[in-house]
Amino acid sequence: MTRPRSATRTATAPVRRSRRPGAWLGWLFAAPAAVMYAVFVLRPLALTVQYSFYDWNGIGASRWVGAANYTRLFTDPEQFAPILHAFELILFFSGIPVLLGLFVAATIRGIAQSRLALVARTVLFLPQVIPLVAAGIMWSWLLSTTGLANEFLSAVGLGGVTRAWLGDFGTALPAVGVIGAWVLVGLCTLLLLAGMSKIDVALYESARLDGAGPVREFFAITLPSLRQEIGVCVTVTIIAALASFDIVYIATQGGPGNSTMVPGLEIFYLAFAEREVGRASALAVVLVLLVLACVLPVQRFTRDGSR
Amino acid sequence: MIVNRREALIGRVLLLLLMAITVVPFVSLFVTALHPSGSYPAGLSWPDDPQWGNFADAFRSARMGQLLVSSALIVAGVVPISLLFGTMAGFAFGHLRMPGHRIGFLIFVLGLTLPFEGIITPLYYQVRDLGLLNTRWAIILPLIGLFMPFSVLWMRAHFVTMPEDLSEAARLDGATTWQLFRRVHLPLARPALSSLAILLFLWTWNQFLLAIVLVDDPAKRTMAGALGAFQGQWGTDIPLLCAGSLLILAPTLAVFLVFQRRFVAALLQGSIKG
Amino acid sequence: MRYPTIAALACTGLLIAAAGCSAPGSDSGTPDAASSAAAVTTSCGSDPVTLKGYFETGFPLPKQLADEFTKQFPNVKWEVREDQFAVITQNAPRVLADDPPDLMRLPQVSELVKDSLLKPLDAYAQAYGWDKWPASQLEQLRVNPGGQRGDGPLQAQGLNFSMTGVFYNKKLAAQIGMTQPPATLAELDTVLRKAKDAGLTPINQFNGGATGGLAFPLQNLMAAYGDPAAINDWIFQKPGATIDTPSNLQATQHLEKWIKAGYFAPDINSQDYATMMSRFIGGKALFIFNGDWESGNLDKQMAGNAGFFLMPPQAPGGKQAAMSAPLTYGISAKAPHADCAAYFLNWVATNQKARDIAVTVGGSHPMGPSDAYMPPVKEGTVTAATLTAGATIGKDNGAMDFIANATGAIYAKSWTPQLQKLAAGQQSADALLKSVQKDYESQVKG
Repeated sequence: MTRPRSATRTATAPVRRSRRPGAWLGWLFAAPAAVMYAVFVLRPLALTVQYSFYDWNGIGASRWVGAANYTRLFTDPEQFAPILHAFELILFFSGIPVLLGLFVAATIRGIAQSRLALVARTVLFLPQVIPLVAAGIMWSWLLSTTGLANEFLSAVGLGGVTRAWLGDFGTALPAVGVIGAWVLVGLCTLLLLAGMSKIDVALYESARLDGAGPVREFFAITLPSLRQEIGVCVTVTIIAALASFDIVYIATQGGPGNSTMVPGLEIFYLAFAEREVGRASALAVVLVLLVLACVLPVQRFTRDGSR
Repeated sequence: MIVNRREALIGRVLLLLLMAITVVPFVSLFVTALHPSGSYPAGLSWPDDPQWGNFADAFRSARMGQLLVSSALIVAGVVPISLLFGTMAGFAFGHLRMPGHRIGFLIFVLGLTLPFEGIITPLYYQVRDLGLLNTRWAIILPLIGLFMPFSVLWMRAHFVTMPEDLSEAARLDGATTWQLFRRVHLPLARPALSSLAILLFLWTWNQFLLAIVLVDDPAKRTMAGALGAFQGQWGTDIPLLCAGSLLILAPTLAVFLVFQRRFVAALLQGSIKG
Repeated sequence: MRYPTIAALACTGLLIAAAGCSAPGSDSGTPDAASSAAAVTTSCGSDPVTLKGYFETGFPLPKQLADEFTKQFPNVKWEVREDQFAVITQNAPRVLADDPPDLMRLPQVSELVKDSLLKPLDAYAQAYGWDKWPASQLEQLRVNPGGQRGDGPLQAQGLNFSMTGVFYNKKLAAQIGMTQPPATLAELDTVLRKAKDAGLTPINQFNGGATGGLAFPLQNLMAAYGDPAAINDWIFQKPGATIDTPSNLQATQHLEKWIKAGYFAPDINSQDYATMMSRFIGGKALFIFNGDWESGNLDKQMAGNAGFFLMPPQAPGGKQAAMSAPLTYGISAKAPHADCAAYFLNWVATNQKARDIAVTVGGSHPMGPSDAYMPPVKEGTVTAATLTAGATIGKDNGAMDFIANATGAIYAKSWTPQLQKLAAGQQSADALLKSVQKDYESQVKG
């Protein structure tokens, strides 16, 4: 159990002179957190990497297979599909909430202090507070054949497009995306609104005096000042998209015909239903790296701007 | 601020629309829950004879009493320990800044974006080998570990802003590092701590993946995990499922509405820092 | 920032090394197989026992049997967990290994046997005389050392013996002039067309989520076009067996024809089992393909209005076949109360009250010796129809296991997605069979 700490120590071998005696004491404070983190995050993470090189059914003996699990992941289109689906989900989980959030926030900026806006703060947060599982259940019902979505479409004369949204090959993945967008749009709107409230009002005043309309105002002042908030929205929503599990598990279980299979669910199925622990771990490693690969550039982009 | 009337009007309409879209699924869930058990109600129709008894039925069949206790126990296990460990480490990294603190902190930060699915497989075998499978510890201990990066980051962000003079003064009075932490810094960290507590509560309560993988008995799961089992068991009866879902939502909604201001602030800050 | 980054990575590397380099799983002990050979106790004793059960959601039979058992043996209490069958299928291996139930609803058993997760029941079979029952009842539950089913040691037991076919709504049938069940496949096609023309939904079938219910009509069609024994060989993993045969292709193409003709409800890909049942009971469809486990339920909820027939053969008077399998329950190799669970299984097959429940609640034929007590069934009920059908299948030697049971993953990973694609017009009959066969081969080998 002490290994993570000592490992950290050895790696910092060239110690600078302590500022005062007992400076090392800090590590004693950090130790409990470090132990929990090492045992329940770093160790499993390392094991994931290790498992990914084995063929193991989780019960019997394992067999070293080198990179075969990875080769299969990248060459078998059926194995690779969940990753593509995750990227498609980014369009919905990130794209809609951020763009819609920007639009709404910019439009309601002027009335941000009104009573309506205060109520809205509470209401728009509701989807953030409930379990995603509950969102999945609500929406599977809304999007079912006899659900509200179809009733609404029929009412406005679009009876022809009604369908079982989550059971149709063409619409199941976008439908899952819409559920995610619903969960995240309120958060993004409020985050962006909070960011806008920090912008110096004088900037807008002078822009108006120069005769700028809302559109120019948005691109000239609002957007550049929101770099950090947009970065946050994009980061949070991308992680939500790539690591989606709860909603898909409840709403479609990956169906119909694997058309909504996402990496998180595939890992779960591979590891616990098909007992392909090695392949599940390979996909897990790829997922972890994908999240980093998507999030780090966003972080860099936003941090550069604000510092 | 110059706001012309037309813009304000558009803003209001847009806001109302967005609120409506947010609320409609909840309303639909509620209305459906009032239909006779076993029926397949269509869309948003108020039932002729609202079945308020569905909630009582769902409460019984979901064994809500047990679930509430179970979730509360899990929260009671996760939140205080995470707060304590996170604060101590945040204090160390943010204020004591011992040799190597940067690397230590960076290792924590690396865990920030980790999707839980990334480690769920080995976690299962590890928890099994510890003999904790199907106990609440199977959710509590891994969650503490998984929440550490965020907790540490959050508390460090607080302690970094604390002036050095504060500590120097205390040290001159002969305070040990522990006393410095306990007497001086901990009281000052209360706002940061309470926001963190709210976030951790929410994330624990709503945790699904760990619950369904590591604990089979719904009565020992979190609320969200139990909801998954409830769907498995009563998914055949839509009104009852809707009533059960609403009941399972109710506690977080209630807590949210009571503490809404703190909640919103915490969530907003939480995502900024996260 | 560069230096700490590298150092941090180095640390993580050290940690990975520290996590240990022994291969996963190499130290896991195998449950002792020797214990099964030892003498067994054939009672539950008189001390308080709590049996841990893992049952299937939505089917009241096991629960009612358990309750009746407790009534007769008050020292035995139950701790029951329920899940949908798809979830049980996914959970089975790890639940059996890590949280062993005494009695569990089992999916396909051969892989569970390969990993020694089930308690072999031969000792009990001898003690209770199960080996004197008609051999066909337990055939599907035997697994030989090569992993093939059909013979070898007994690995599980049934609560009853179920039978599948076509259920129909009598009122809707009369509406389109169907006065008696179709006698040939061609007649069935005619009825379907008439129903469609009359604006009815000819067939409703669950096919959503993780459960591809089109496997029911598909396998019925396969048996109408070909030899049920060949299908069983494939399911039992006999060497060289293939699902991609000319007659199965005809069957799949026939199903495709039904789909293209709009004989199925348009939203079958989003329907789960419960939705199908509730719509059928609500009179929204003429036919469903399903099993006699619903007979008792339909006799109650559609009293007098539901009928049942076996899939008609191609030629008039031809042999008929049906999926027919024991409602499989097994005992974990690590179960603490294996003896009592086995006693329960024997009680289910031999106790008069239990056999009553098996028929009235379960709707299916009880397990057990052929001359055992049979509860009286009212003429004209669905239950009576399915029990009669069972006799026909016995005579025609047409009992098949379910194609979804060939391997542990074949249903969720192959049949379900493929049939969902077929339903959506995104897969051809030919490619469907080829793809399933490919998955099958890789799973059987692995």
